[in-house]
Amino acid sequence: MGMPVRVEVRDAGGADLEPVFAWLRRVDALFSPYRPGSEVARLARGERFAPHPLVREVLQRCEALRVQTRGWFDAYATGRLDPCGYVKGWAVDGAAALLEADAFCIDAGGDVLVRGGPWRIGIRHPRRRDRLAAALAVSDAAVATSGLYERGAHIVDPRTGTTPRGVLSVTVVGPRLATADAYATAAFAMGADGPAWTAGLRDHRALTILADGRVLTTVEDNLRLPLAA
Amino acid sequence: MRRALAALVVTVVAVILLAGYETRPPRTVNPHSPLYTAAKARAAQAPRAVPRGKTAAGAPITTPYSIIQVQATVDKGRLTGVKTLLLSGDGPHTNALNRRAEPILRAEALKAGSAKIDSVSGATGTSESWRASLQAAIDKARGLPD
Repeated sequence: MGMPVRVEVRDAGGADLEPVFAWLRRVDALFSPYRPGSEVARLARGERFAPHPLVREVLQRCEALRVQTRGWFDAYATGRLDPCGYVKGWAVDGAAALLEADAFCIDAGGDVLVRGGPWRIGIRHPRRRDRLAAALAVSDAAVATSGLYERGAHIVDPRTGTTPRGVLSVTVVGPRLATADAYATAAFAMGADGPAWTAGLRDHRALTILADGRVLTTVEDNLRLPLAA
Repeated sequence: MRRALAALVVTVVAVILLAGYETRPPRTVNPHSPLYTAAKARAAQAPRAVPRGKTAAGAPITTPYSIIQVQATVDKGRLTGVKTLLLSGDGPHTNALNRRAEPILRAEALKAGSAKIDSVSGATGTSESWRASLQAAIDKARGLPD
């Protein structure tokens, strides 16, 4: 499906965005599971060929994350190869490297990467879509949120194949979007065990919203912005 | 300061076909459905911006599931109201930091509020488009004169 990618550049000189979108189109052509000719779709069908070096890199990183998260992040969680959960953030990290500007914000379907700052990033309320559950002031950071919201299950527990319960959303703040996103996905899949796991992550902060209305967070107060009623 | 900055901001919204998190192929809207036709017609007629105070509507966004338009009200730089103007689709689904220290886990109560923000984290499927339309509305409301 289409995913809106929004790039906001705060730079008096502007910036050339064409290389960024050319990169994103290239990533899509290689990785989209919905394009029958993409390498990922062909691999998922069991075709045998030497994958593009970028595809090999992504598959290696997915495997490293699967090991690091003890199986909670798994590109094969649904039973077939689907590395989208990693590719989205990885593509944005790559786009940021191509963008020659001092301050920008890239938003890819609710996962956000900023350079410069501070940028004010709202965390969507999982139950009230016209409200925020929190707002953060971040610089040179990535913010990724995994949750169910109203569209139903898109994350499954790789061990049971079912949707985790008890957790509404997990937001992870870290230096790279690909990793922050994978950690958010893994912590969400862990359910009630997620918040404690996030507390062990170096260089990352997390905010988990539980179904009972509690928020468990490792985000420092100095990053939090006050919310108005 | 914010206003001075806004003049320097370049905002580009592009929809690319990079697959999201969907673990199933997306269902598609039935283009022959009266619901879809009616919603599309309403989206085409909907005002692109409401020049009353600081309220603006984002462009209607069409997804494989639905058409969504969101209106935002910004008062003194703060997002004070969000209204979904248009949400339509087929099916019940659619109608419905970096310090080297060990982080400390704290418990607090879930709050619901608003704040002056640049972007929103946390969205999937329909809400991605909802958020995109909201962001477009915020951007427009920011650019309107007081």
